[in-house]
Amino acid sequence: MRRSRWLPVVAALALLVPAACSAAPAGSVELTVFAAASLSDALTAAGNVYEVDNRGVSLTLSFDASSALRTQIEQGAPGDVLASADMANPQALVDGKLAVGPVVQFARNELTIVVPAANPARIGDPRDLARPGVWIVGAGESVPISRYIDECLAKLAALPGYPAGYAAGVASNVVSREDNVRAALTKVELGEADAAFVYVTDAAASDAVEVVGIPAAANVEAVYGSVAISGSRHPAEAAAFVAWLAGPRGASILATFGFLGPAGE
Amino acid sequence: MKRSPIGLLAGAGGGLLVLFLGLPILALLARAVTGGLLPEAAGASAVLEALGLSLVTTLASLALAVALGTPLAYALARRRVRGRALLEALVDLPIVLPPAVAGLALLLVLGRRGWIGGPLEALGISIPFTTVAVVLAQTFVAAPFFVRAARTGFAGVDRHLEDAARVDGASEASVFWHVTLPLAAPALAPGLVMTWARALGEFGATIMFAGNFAGRTQTLPLVVYGEFQAGALDAAVAAAAILVLAALGVLIAVRGFGWRRALDVRSI
Repeated sequence: MRRSRWLPVVAALALLVPAACSAAPAGSVELTVFAAASLSDALTAAGNVYEVDNRGVSLTLSFDASSALRTQIEQGAPGDVLASADMANPQALVDGKLAVGPVVQFARNELTIVVPAANPARIGDPRDLARPGVWIVGAGESVPISRYIDECLAKLAALPGYPAGYAAGVASNVVSREDNVRAALTKVELGEADAAFVYVTDAAASDAVEVVGIPAAANVEAVYGSVAISGSRHPAEAAAFVAWLAGPRGASILATFGFLGPAGE
Repeated sequence: MKRSPIGLLAGAGGGLLVLFLGLPILALLARAVTGGLLPEAAGASAVLEALGLSLVTTLASLALAVALGTPLAYALARRRVRGRALLEALVDLPIVLPPAVAGLALLLVLGRRGWIGGPLEALGISIPFTTVAVVLAQTFVAAPFFVRAARTGFAGVDRHLEDAARVDGASEASVFWHVTLPLAAPALAPGLVMTWARALGEFGATIMFAGNFAGRTQTLPLVVYGEFQAGALDAAVAAAAILVLAALGVLIAVRGFGWRRALDVRSI
């Protein structure tokens, strides 16, 4: 299994060199899965299991912000499945006839705050994030987690004990909008940033950060959805993977990485 | 004039390359113009802010590269320098390195836990995520272009002319300003342009070391990438077209300037 962020580039080069375009050997199916950055570890593990369970199918995984992956698909990147950190991005592909609906919910996640292990800004509570001089990194405005963070900040601001203008105070401490949630996590791991909102599963994947919990009343449920992409050369296999990921076997693997199962289970 | 088959083949090859280099730029500008994106982008505060930041940071990087690069280039061209080959390779290295490598390396030295960044942090000075970091990233990747050009320029100056000025009583500083620098100018001018152009196009080191935030570290190339990532293709094209026009304008303008300077020098 390979991971690649450069599929569009490869695709462009392939246009120049048609000979390079020849597909995988006959009898084997290669599925390209575009997946949210927060799924990096979990889907890699799930993919390994899937390949063992389904001989003849090999997966190529490409991780980035769900919004960036959606853009790549809209620009014709050859993929078979989008596994997104929200329902909106895959739904937009379905609405644009670029993916086969309905969007299948396969996991849920929650937010948490991470700080470097040394916690240089001494953040012990979400309230501290609004203190002047705290350096927070976020993700691009269109990245799913940014919407979840906005919802969470609004809920936090409404809690007793949170000052007026809390959400604006936090926003004014954001020093960079990274490509995706994992890039933000890296900046905290490196100690370059004082704090970031990430998914609970991202925090669990890192040894170099400490977690500052968000009160349950203010947390936000991130709902992950996947679809088979319309242009897929292997629509049946793509649909099968989407169903498997949302099924008991997929959910049990994702659960080991801290993901919650799809709602209604 | 009759052309040989090899000449025709060479012409076809060259033409193909011109098409290959020109078509993407043409497609970009065409989409920007036909979509009416340029006036829209020119009125968009995010693009203007990024353009302003790009201009300010690239000029600062250029000034830094010239201020620090001129003495180094002069020494490399004129003095007996120990370990010259290693030094020259080191100076050329950023030209070859992927910018992402440069960004990572800068973080390790100037990041908040870096060799220099750590002690600075203790003094309350942080570099990453600031406009200063943008300038440093640009200088790191672009300064070698100036040093290369200036080294060649200084090496090409006829030492007899400098000696003649000295015989006439000129001080060393005066010799440098009035003889060496003007004579090296035809080589320095393209070096300045390349350095500025490289700084303007800087992306990888900037996004890794300086981060991405509007008004502070988000230069025009970062806007192009960010808008594309966000699915706003038109906005990405508009920002890209502005970048292309700015670069093209300066390249053409300075080309003319460079030729004139070269002619001035020859007429001395």
